Amino acid sequence: MASNDLAADVLLVLAVVGEAMCVLGLLAGRSAIDKLHYAGAASTVPPCLVAAALVVKERGSQPAINAIVVAVLVLVLGSVVNHMTARVARRRSVGQLTARESEIRRP
Amino acid sequence: MNAWLAAAAALLVFIVPCGAIVVRGTRMEALVALELVTTLSTLVLVLLAEGFHRSSYMGVALVAAGASFVGNLIYLRFVEREL
Repeated sequence: MASNDLAADVLLVLAVVGEAMCVLGLLAGRSAIDKLHYAGAASTVPPCLVAAALVVKERGSQPAINAIVVAVLVLVLGSVVNHMTARVARRRSVGQLTARESEIRRP
Repeated sequence: MNAWLAAAAALLVFIVPCGAIVVRGTRMEALVALELVTTLSTLVLVLLAEGFHRSSYMGVALVAAGASFVGNLIYLRFVEREL
């Protein structure tokens, strides 16, 4: 097996393992905010690993460029969606975005 | 079956437990699980495009990445209006 194929396969396995960990975290999370941490993580490292696997396999061809664009889109847009979801979840659970007095730890 | 298709199949399997949370969880938990499902589905499309050696399929993944963002924001907007 060529070294490029091996490297691409290793990156793919790492991406799948990363997504598996995020799904397990989503299942184990107790609240929506806890689950959101894992949903956010799923849109950061694994897409970059998939794009890296494609770049290793295809070098500078069109599929590799497309994969990089998809990874950047998922990374940036996923972060925006996560932030919006956190804001809505916070307002639903507490009623306000700012910290309550009981949540502030004073020295 | 190559490594790309196997990875796509594995990610498809991961969608099932997320779907269970969408069905059985609270509204916010369902929204969070839906976000993860859209991320997984976009990655599946990229992997399928490479697995079948059809670079034209990558366009579907590009559109899915943008459309899932818009769809998630619309759901969030509806949930926010309930407040």
